[in-house]
Amino acid sequence: MKLLVFHIGADRYGLRLREVVRVVPLLELKQLPLAPEPVVGLMDYHGASVPVVDLCLAAGLAPGPDHFDTRIIVVDYRAPEGTLHLLGLRAERVQGVQDVADRLLTESGVKAAPFLGQVAGDAHGMLQVVELEHLLTPALRIALFPNDANAVDADEHAP
Amino acid sequence: MFKDLSIKRKLYLGFGAILAIILTLLIIAYNRFNSLSEANLWDRHTMDVIQAIDNLRNDLLEVQVEARGYYLTGSPARLDRTRKEQHDIPEAIQKLQQLTKDNPVQVTRFTKLETMINSWGKDVIETQLVMREQLGDKPGAADAMGRTPQLATITNSAIGDIYKFMNDAAAEERRLLGERSAASSNLQESMRLVITVGGMACVLLGALVAWLLVGSLTSPLSNLTAAVGRIAAGDQGARAEVLSNDELGKVTEEFNRMAQSIQDSQAKEKAVSDQLRAKVDSLLGVVSKAASGDLTGTIDVTGTDAIGQLAHGLDRMFENLRSLLNNVQKAGIQVTTSATEIAASAKQQEATGIEQAQTSVEILSTTKEISANASQLLKTMEEATAVADYTTTATADAQGNLRRMDSTMQHMVSATDSINAKLAALSEKASNINSVLITITKVADQTNILSLNAAIEAEKAGEAGRGFSVVATEIRRLADQTSVSTWDIEQMLKEMQSAVSASVMGMDKFSEEIRRSVGEVRQVTDQLSGVMDQVQKLAPQFDAVLQGMQSQAVGAEQISATMMQLNDATQQTVESLKATSEAVHQLQYAAGDLQTSVANFAVAV
Repeated sequence: MKLLVFHIGADRYGLRLREVVRVVPLLELKQLPLAPEPVVGLMDYHGASVPVVDLCLAAGLAPGPDHFDTRIIVVDYRAPEGTLHLLGLRAERVQGVQDVADRLLTESGVKAAPFLGQVAGDAHGMLQVVELEHLLTPALRIALFPNDANAVDADEHAP
Repeated sequence: MFKDLSIKRKLYLGFGAILAIILTLLIIAYNRFNSLSEANLWDRHTMDVIQAIDNLRNDLLEVQVEARGYYLTGSPARLDRTRKEQHDIPEAIQKLQQLTKDNPVQVTRFTKLETMINSWGKDVIETQLVMREQLGDKPGAADAMGRTPQLATITNSAIGDIYKFMNDAAAEERRLLGERSAASSNLQESMRLVITVGGMACVLLGALVAWLLVGSLTSPLSNLTAAVGRIAAGDQGARAEVLSNDELGKVTEEFNRMAQSIQDSQAKEKAVSDQLRAKVDSLLGVVSKAASGDLTGTIDVTGTDAIGQLAHGLDRMFENLRSLLNNVQKAGIQVTTSATEIAASAKQQEATGIEQAQTSVEILSTTKEISANASQLLKTMEEATAVADYTTTATADAQGNLRRMDSTMQHMVSATDSINAKLAALSEKASNINSVLITITKVADQTNILSLNAAIEAEKAGEAGRGFSVVATEIRRLADQTSVSTWDIEQMLKEMQSAVSASVMGMDKFSEEIRRSVGEVRQVTDQLSGVMDQVQKLAPQFDAVLQGMQSQAVGAEQISATMMQLNDATQQTVESLKATSEAVHQLQYAAGDLQTSVANFAVAV
């Protein structure tokens, strides 16, 4: 399985490559006043407005300063309702793509943040998979994609 | 109160009290005795009454007996006797009535008895007597008489009543007697009690009065005796306490006054003797101080008595001694001072002489040295003249060299400036390289992202994108290498830039140094020109000095000869001064001795 490797704080984490849409350099974001905590702003992605979430803030850490390898990873976020959304993730020290064998992945066995998935060890230490569908809390999801609830309602009422 | 009385009154009072007690006792006893004797009289009176009753009874019995004798015998003698006895009865009754006239019960009783007896005498005795007379000497007259009812009946009621009555009276009297004797014994008892208790009280009171009297007389006396004893033992302030206002109290007061006057006179005497002693002591102190040499003591004893006169005389004597010693001391001090001054001046002169001698010797040697030096200097001056000539030429050469050096320095300054300009150009070029490097870094970064996205797209293309994925990886590696190389170049460029700026700074400092050196060289050149001018002026002056030196050498030799003569004279002066100093020393010692011997006397007041 191929993972896009980046850092949250001092530790390495990976996103499944098939969920990643694009990696873009860090750019000036439109500020969203009074937005919930991990949301840092809006970016313009080929004309579409995409909300950006800081992974450090989402993990409860302080965001680090901007570096040349701090990037915004544009991902396909699949809501539990089944709708797909583009979502920007501010990630630090984006290293690149790493191929991790499936047999090396094991369960962490510790119940921590809900988006933390399996772990694998290699020469550079431990690497943990980030489960994208658990990244947003329900409240945050409603705040970011308020149309989802209406869509579900519409789906239910359609038949 | 008792204390305020005089002894006479105390005695009168004491004995009067005893006498009053005894008198009271006697009066009581007299009264009691009177009562007792009255009781005795009453006893006797009762006894008399009883005896009178007995006499009456006897008389009645006699009348009966004589009457019965007459009845029996009928003799006229008996009748006479009867009559006679009958005649006695009224007298006896009268006597009884006389005796008992104070007792109305007995009086009535005896009046009744009298009537009874009278009736009995009339009714019984007279009738029977008449009867017997009638009978006369007839035989059987007695029997006839006996048969008469008055005699025959055993219970002769009339006479029996009389006897009984009399017995009652007697019993009454005996009862009275009993009462009276009981009263008399009571009286006797109380009498004994009064005498016993009164006697004891009398004795006790007497003892109390005696004790009080003795106390009031002896306590002031013993008090006085104790005070006298204390005064005799030496306690002058001892006084007897005045315990009462009587004669002894007055004696105590007088004694106290006497003791006070004795004490006062003794104190006065002691004060006088103390004053005398103090005066003598003060005189003695002054005289002793004078004997030990201290004449500063003053005599403050005055007066017209013997001590005062003595003090006055001593004072005058000390005054004379003091003035004498003062004069001697002053003279000694003056002598010593003068001797010391002379000695000091002699010493000074001596020292001056010696110094003079030494100085003349030194001058001599110095003069010799001067003449030697002068000739040496002469030679040196000649050499110096030669050196000065050489210096003049050498300095001119140096000036030329320095000018050349100055121009070289000027060249160096311009070269440094051109190096600086080139270094600035180098720095600018480095900055240009830096901007190019930034562009390269940006491109590398973009390439990196591009390769990442390529890898992502390849992954999404699945099997078809595998080859593309490899290419993307290669691109990414290339981008990474570019980044690393760019970073290396950047580092080198930074080092170069810092080296250039260090060079610029060094060159700046160097050119500054050169500029300063140029200034210094110019200064040296100027100074050398001044030196050269002075050196050229030196040569004629050296000639003048040379001439002066020669004449100085001649003068020095002359001075040397004069100094030899002066030295001899000075030696002689020093010798004579030493002798003077010796003599003055001896004078000084003598003056010192005089002063120390006079100094033993202190005269300053």
